[in-house]
Amino acid sequence: MHKETQKKEFTGASKYVLDDELARIVNISMALEMPLLLKGEPGTGKTMLAHAIAEASGMKLIVLNVKSSMKLIDALYQYDTLTRLNDSRFGDSKRDVSNIEEYIRMGKIGQSFVSDQRVVLLIDEIDKADTDFQDDMLDVLDQMEFDIIEIDKTIKAKYRPVIIITSNAKKDLSDPFLGRCNFHHIAFPEPDMMRKIVQVHFSDIDKELLDSVVRTFYRLREIRGIEKKPATRELINWIRALRADADFRVKDLIKGEVPFLGVLFKKSPDYVVAQNAVARFRV
Amino acid sequence: MFVDFFYLLKKAGIPVSPTSFLRLQKALSMGLINSLDDFYTSARTILVKSEKYFDLYDQVFAHQFEGAEFKGPEEIELSEIARALLDEWLKDRKELAEALGVREEDLLKLTPEELLKYFLDRLKEQTEAHHGGNKWIGTGGTSPVGHSGYHPGGMRVGGVSRNKSAVKVAMDRRYRDYSQEGPMTASQIGEALKRLRNMVPFGPKDRVNIDKTIYETMRNAGEIEIVFDRSLKDRLKVILAIDNGGWSMDPYIELVQTLFNYARAQFKDLKTFFFHNTIYDYLWEDPPRHSKPFPVDELVRLDPETRFIVVGDASMAPYELMATDGSIHIEERSGRPSYERLKFIGKTFAHAVWINPKLAEEWPYTRSIHQIREIFPMFELTLDGLEKAVGHMMRKN
Repeated sequence: MHKETQKKEFTGASKYVLDDELARIVNISMALEMPLLLKGEPGTGKTMLAHAIAEASGMKLIVLNVKSSMKLIDALYQYDTLTRLNDSRFGDSKRDVSNIEEYIRMGKIGQSFVSDQRVVLLIDEIDKADTDFQDDMLDVLDQMEFDIIEIDKTIKAKYRPVIIITSNAKKDLSDPFLGRCNFHHIAFPEPDMMRKIVQVHFSDIDKELLDSVVRTFYRLREIRGIEKKPATRELINWIRALRADADFRVKDLIKGEVPFLGVLFKKSPDYVVAQNAVARFRV
Repeated sequence: MFVDFFYLLKKAGIPVSPTSFLRLQKALSMGLINSLDDFYTSARTILVKSEKYFDLYDQVFAHQFEGAEFKGPEEIELSEIARALLDEWLKDRKELAEALGVREEDLLKLTPEELLKYFLDRLKEQTEAHHGGNKWIGTGGTSPVGHSGYHPGGMRVGGVSRNKSAVKVAMDRRYRDYSQEGPMTASQIGEALKRLRNMVPFGPKDRVNIDKTIYETMRNAGEIEIVFDRSLKDRLKVILAIDNGGWSMDPYIELVQTLFNYARAQFKDLKTFFFHNTIYDYLWEDPPRHSKPFPVDELVRLDPETRFIVVGDASMAPYELMATDGSIHIEERSGRPSYERLKFIGKTFAHAVWINPKLAEEWPYTRSIHQIREIFPMFELTLDGLEKAVGHMMRKN
């Protein structure tokens, strides 16, 4: 119940609009101490959710940005051989060269395990890495511990971190991995929701602009043959651009003119398609 | 508790595991779930692991807790697709009237429901079309109805569930669109081809080789000698040979284009060739197959590690493949049958595959496909097929 109240406080204050369903899912995952896997179109706020949880619950956020060449060990710890070699040669540091432990640096997962308080661990875009990475991570997340081979020491999580995993992939992750996570798919926000999101970002936006901007935005999203549809991020930037332009009038939007199309469509074929479609708006 | 529900989910085809069911029980016993709404979201997040099944889950949930009628998945899919197709066609009444074989004025008299029923009846009569319409990759077919899979309305689903009961939400079936297979997009193809890589050292020497550094430092009597290596980059060589001639490939143009676009973006070292139906003495570097010929014999000079990917429907008259003067283009007649040329390519490149946009179930009916499969391993141009093809090409031997 305590968490719930915290959440309500932050929906109003912070730049994240949370719907009830997602709030429930977050709470149940936290209570069950299960990682929560989030999928959904880019720009639906998967990454932002982790930031919001951290902010709301006053926990520290540790972000692991997964890269395609990443191995699990990079996320756990690093053994800094070069510094040790250097120290052993010149001996001018305060570190004890014979103590390997002083040359072990924790990776992001490692940091979340040794932290003295419960933290939020965001594993961002896990689909970028090989499936091996996911499979290797299973045990670590399951047991909440890993071994440092160099010093034969097991690192156990002091507090089970709240784990949020995001994935953009249309393809499913491996079954054993899914089995250990709770799952949620964030749908693209409805216009009503989108209005709220915009209002959170631009508290002083007037209603006429808000309505026509959101309407135009959803109309643009419906254009056929677009490969990357504009998402929330693009909308926010677009509004920022519109407001910065002194010559812009809301009436232009209603008339069917769409300035700064390049802010919304970032791939050149998409831009051309959108341009043609927008030309038809006016007729 | 809720054991029936669990088994119904399983029966409906959602892969639910006993472990996750136990986890749900744990959540229940911890007092985390206090209402049906809670149960709806919690059970979904714990049991269902892919948005593909959200729609099915909604249906089962509505059935279990409200007694809504639960139809088999197939029936639903068919009528959904029909409705989507119809929505699309209603934009152009004339075309629709032609396709259904009724006059435009008659069409206007029908209500949407009647129209849908009529349409469905037509669909059932034409088993061929039904078959085609149901497949996401689009099998073309000759009938006017149900040519290639149409994806209804992109990805639009409902969002907020604030003032509705869970059952109502479930009955809304907000996730309908997710449950059908969408068209193959570049990103999906990207997923499938991701594993196709060949890491070789490339670029500046900016990575420390620790083993060598230690070794060299020892040799240097303790004076530090740091050894740098190039980091590994993907430098896979790929040849893509595309059949772009003849009407038999027409239905697949878009699909092949998507594949081609992705390949161009992904592989740094990509050569594209074109041919018509099958390969004789020349491949062509230009799509009209006119100005830039590339002799097949020259292929031996390329790296044998190159992945050679042929994209084509492999459907042609048997003589085009087997006869010494098989080519339908007179200037290409050299006396060697295409069959031999393909064998030559298969021998030159150990990692060669044939990707066929036709679905595998149609293959047994075409003779030339049999013969080509003797030379190249053949895979269908679906996500599954691509993955298998990639697996085959990345084999070490």
